Amino acid sequence: MSMIFGKIVEKRPIVFYVAIVFLLLFLVMGVTLPKGARSLVIQMMIFSILGMGYDLSLGFTNQCSLGHSVFFGAGAYGVIFSIMYLKVGLLPSLSFSFVAGLVFAVITGVISVRLSEAYFVIVTAIFFAVFHLLAMDMTWLTGGDDGLSIQLPALSLGFGKLSLYDPLVNYYFVLAFLVLSYLILDRIVKSPMGKVFISIRESEKRVQFLGYNVFRYKLIAFILSGMFSALSGGLYALTLRYGSADFFSFHWSIMPVVWCLIGGLGTLVGPWIGAVIMSLFQYYVSAWWTYYLILFGIIILLILRISRKGILGYIISRRLT
Amino acid sequence: MGIVNMAHGDIYMAGAILTFYVVSTLGNFWLSLVVVPVVIILISAPMERFVLRPYEGYHSSSMIATVGISFIIQQIALGTYGGIPKKITNPWPISFNFLGVDYPGYRFLVACISILILAGLWLFLYKTSYGILVRASMQDREMASAIGINVNQVLVTTFVMGSVLAAVGGILAAPINQVSYLMGNDIVLLCFIVVIVGGLGSLKGTLIAALSLCSLEGMMASILSPTQARAAIFVIMIIVLMRRPQGLFTE
Repeated sequence: MSMIFGKIVEKRPIVFYVAIVFLLLFLVMGVTLPKGARSLVIQMMIFSILGMGYDLSLGFTNQCSLGHSVFFGAGAYGVIFSIMYLKVGLLPSLSFSFVAGLVFAVITGVISVRLSEAYFVIVTAIFFAVFHLLAMDMTWLTGGDDGLSIQLPALSLGFGKLSLYDPLVNYYFVLAFLVLSYLILDRIVKSPMGKVFISIRESEKRVQFLGYNVFRYKLIAFILSGMFSALSGGLYALTLRYGSADFFSFHWSIMPVVWCLIGGLGTLVGPWIGAVIMSLFQYYVSAWWTYYLILFGIIILLILRISRKGILGYIISRRLT
Repeated sequence: MGIVNMAHGDIYMAGAILTFYVVSTLGNFWLSLVVVPVVIILISAPMERFVLRPYEGYHSSSMIATVGISFIIQQIALGTYGGIPKKITNPWPISFNFLGVDYPGYRFLVACISILILAGLWLFLYKTSYGILVRASMQDREMASAIGINVNQVLVTTFVMGSVLAAVGGILAAPINQVSYLMGNDIVLLCFIVVIVGGLGSLKGTLIAALSLCSLEGMMASILSPTQARAAIFVIMIIVLMRRPQGLFTE
């Protein structure tokens, strides 16, 4: 027992150091990188938030959802609608995306979380497909494939006004949200509730025998995961100043899975590594080969076959033995 | 068999596209009913044995793996066949007149073939000794292999049968629908809804759910738009899930 506890205590610093290194790198890269590379890094950071949110669902409570594009798209449209129709500022609009994620996650979660594993994956996949269809169809609301573009309001801080049209401001704005959501999620994961999440992943039946309401904890994890996915969707819409029905597409459901699997499940920082690797991969390989999705499929199969621990999980297990 | 197959729709699509190639090279639609299943067997048997075998029984992993396979099949189809939907000419352009309404002969034929296939599948699963082996392996794999059933062979056969059925569906649908590399995505959603409503592992439930939901969708599509009709089906699925989370017809 004490040995296991020792392992858990020892495990923390590595992940924490990796996070620090990444954040410092992001911080420095904002100033040093050229413009094009900087926008790529902005995307990586937004994807990291999505990956972390997803990690809460797959990595901590073992709910393999393929419906996270619903939350991503809901978050994006939360930002767009609140700016277009309600004329609110940037930070309130992001809170709208948070609320949109909450609403959608509660609706889908109440229906799907109760189900067994096979039903859960299928039903979340159906959710994605139906919401994608609806978003494509309701062009009067969502703009369909063409999408809607927005005029960004200025970001008013205490000492002055900043505009997200300045790429540097945009970069550090997103970085701030990455740090914030990492701190919040890290706090959640280390709290007693996070411990229950982890024990649900390890053995759901045993947690139930211990008297916990498994459904409620899984639902909470799912909703939190949906909210952070929505936040990343909102940030993505703000960065692109645009949103379309494409934000509901399958891409945003499968990518978080791949990021989490590459980086390491249940580590929160793992998905950052996955997001960086896959973004670079997509950026370079898609320019080089039209049918790069074949390679993408092969990568999915390879990761699943080699290990489900991912890069960070591998490093942690090496350190322990 | 514990595989959530996201690539099922793509095998359906592969069946349709292979039909297109058979028709354009050999010139006979009916030959494709012989040629395409052979090709699909050659593809799907190694796929099950070497790619999907480790994930059997692990629904999430199998789903992610089949998503990968689905990407590969779709992109290969896009690369070879192209992105433009094409049409196959109707191989049996006869129409029946029944009570004053014209029915296209080909669709009638497809209905007959489907009934035959379903009857054959039911007979195979419930009336033959191999069907008993299949059902035993699905119920408890370890127990089945302990009493001497060659579970590996049964698993390959089952997966291949599922794939061939999907491909035959694709072949039969090819002259009715347009053949494009994305036609599988559309059908897989409907398949999943049908399976969820009918209950996993229940042939009867799947059949009843498929017939009722699809005719319901067809009727509603005449009033609403196709997407709204599909959303209505989706709402029905949610109601069913709220009342019976295990599906309508599972024991």
